[in-house]
Amino acid sequence: MRYFRTVKLGTKSLLLHPMRSLLTVLGIFIGVASVIWLLAIGEGISKEAQRQIEDLGAENIIIRSIKPPDESGGNFRQITAFGVTRNECKLINDTISTVKRVLPIRELSQKFAYTGNPNVKPVDGRLVGCTADYAEVTRLEIERGHFLTTREVELNRPVCVIAAKLAERLFPSEDPLNKQIYLPEKKENFKIVGVLKHRNATAAIGGSLAAQDFSLDIYIPVTTMRARMTDQETKRAGGSFSTKLFELSQITVQVKSSDDVPRTAELVEATLRQNDADRQDIAVVVPYELLEQAKTTRLMFMMFMGLIAAISLIVGGIGIMNIMLATVTERTREIGIRRALGGKQRDIVLQFLVETITLSIVGGITGILMGLLCPVVVDVSRWGLEYFAPQLYASLPEVARVMRPTIVPISIPVAFGISVVVGVFFGLYPAVRAAQLDPIEALRHE
Amino acid sequence: MTQTSTRMAAVIRDLQKHYVLKSETVRALRGVSFEVPEGDYVAIMGPSGSGKSTLLNLLGCLDQPTHGSFLLGGDDVAQMTDDELSTIRASRIGFVFQSYNLIAQLSVVENIEVPLYYMGNLNAQSRKRSIELAKMVGLGERLDHRPTQLSGGQQQRVAIARSLVNDPYFILADEATGNLDSVTTEEILALFQRLNDEGKTIIMVTHEDEVAEHAKRVIRLRDGEIQFDKPVEGRKVFTAEQIQEIAHNADVASRGAE
Repeated sequence: MRYFRTVKLGTKSLLLHPMRSLLTVLGIFIGVASVIWLLAIGEGISKEAQRQIEDLGAENIIIRSIKPPDESGGNFRQITAFGVTRNECKLINDTISTVKRVLPIRELSQKFAYTGNPNVKPVDGRLVGCTADYAEVTRLEIERGHFLTTREVELNRPVCVIAAKLAERLFPSEDPLNKQIYLPEKKENFKIVGVLKHRNATAAIGGSLAAQDFSLDIYIPVTTMRARMTDQETKRAGGSFSTKLFELSQITVQVKSSDDVPRTAELVEATLRQNDADRQDIAVVVPYELLEQAKTTRLMFMMFMGLIAAISLIVGGIGIMNIMLATVTERTREIGIRRALGGKQRDIVLQFLVETITLSIVGGITGILMGLLCPVVVDVSRWGLEYFAPQLYASLPEVARVMRPTIVPISIPVAFGISVVVGVFFGLYPAVRAAQLDPIEALRHE
Repeated sequence: MTQTSTRMAAVIRDLQKHYVLKSETVRALRGVSFEVPEGDYVAIMGPSGSGKSTLLNLLGCLDQPTHGSFLLGGDDVAQMTDDELSTIRASRIGFVFQSYNLIAQLSVVENIEVPLYYMGNLNAQSRKRSIELAKMVGLGERLDHRPTQLSGGQQQRVAIARSLVNDPYFILADEATGNLDSVTTEEILALFQRLNDEGKTIIMVTHEDEVAEHAKRVIRLRDGEIQFDKPVEGRKVFTAEQIQEIAHNADVASRGAE
């Protein structure tokens, strides 16, 4: 009965100044909501980063060929081969026991055309020579038809599988299956045997691996590519020609178990560098290691976000303290009356503490509700941005567009707990000060 | 009443209070002794600086004497801790202030209950008692009103009801009519007389002779000492009819005001 009365009285006193109480609550509200929001967004971003790394395959080791910078100027330069070779690919597959399989990949940027429809302009895309395992290892999913088969690869068939976006561009009104795609630069035709599902691009990782956009890819057997296009690639760029000579753009080594990845990566690297330790034309990327790195980064990120949120809570707490100090001064006379009528010091402390705790609990609960709305608000604002400012939206980094805020469950009790602690902590001083007023002085206060 | 007059509501012996202000010591009370038997009606008078307020604070257990003793129902207030003083104030003293000092957030009946709240005695029975007291002071129909919705006289009647709720040793009235006009002053004084006639002990501090004339006894302070302590000669007493009439008029006036 008594505590009920205390809480009732506290609420009444707060409602005496609704605007003031509202603003004070707002401080805690923002603090709590921002704890939940920042942690949710942080979690969303790191989950997305982890997902992108996992898309590369935690059990994969990726070796990219890198074109060394041109050393000699002019047209008389010697064309030297660079990058990983088919031999090395075979060597890795044959000598390292922890390797499950090795995928040779060769990529070229090409124009793709469909001659059956005169309205369709050629599209710039990426021609990927690969094997049948490629789809499984890089997690490409087939929408229609089938991916390249081992038999098609072995027989150098002129067939291809195209990515969803490319299919939409080249075949806006037709079924792409069994149509011929024409490569004007190579003067080659490929028959479409499969269409892939839509897939989001992966982000650039640590500078060693560029962002990969799979949406305009065409996959052909790597054997067909070698037979029809050789290892030499000549491009016209601004009036002059540049020639590159390389066997493979990338090999993806799939390891039997992800536990073996670090060891295998060392072996792969040693194999590739056995003749030249300072070899500059390859880069080894180990998604497993990136994943481990991402996990530490995530922890740092969360701590950073938490720190910012904690600061906003403290600011909210200072707001409470400020208001309560003003309230104590304003209600000095009431304190005097209460003391004269038999209120003990601890009764006065309790009375003011109940008020601050009420403020912080209300702020905490509304803040949690607002925090839980985070995913919805992010979705709505993305939608709004896409609708009203599409250019701005398009210029957003990939991760901001696809990231889904994930509420960290622990952040809810933590945020609530902190808000109550802040209420008690910042309310205690004004409450004690109120209780220590001399009742005679307080009664005389106008 | 005569049977209980030998029991003491308050016994004060050589009460001294010194304040230390910077370097000098102000001797506000320099040894005051008197007794207040139960059922007494005392007016404490004196010019400003006479120690009136200091004595009031001591009688109200808001302060402690530098020297001397103040026995309240057998307990010496001079030896009490702050919490014990609070308990005494809640349970044994009925304050009536010049400026009513009701709590703005609370209704009439809740204001009356405040001392009980601090005694931890809030229950259905105490609520009933508070309502009865509100009725007794003529505010039975305004239980849920806020102080700001009441006139000065009505607020003071609420304060008097509040002072009675804990069945105190005495009602301590500090210039209780100081903020009121003459009609309302009469109303309050009539109420005091009625309570005193019913056996309540009243100690009131005032500087108005007309008010003091209603008491049974006057203690006059001067420079921290008792100048005189004597029964009131020619005490003004309201007759029972007058009391009824005043109460009736007050009731009519407040109804008309609404």
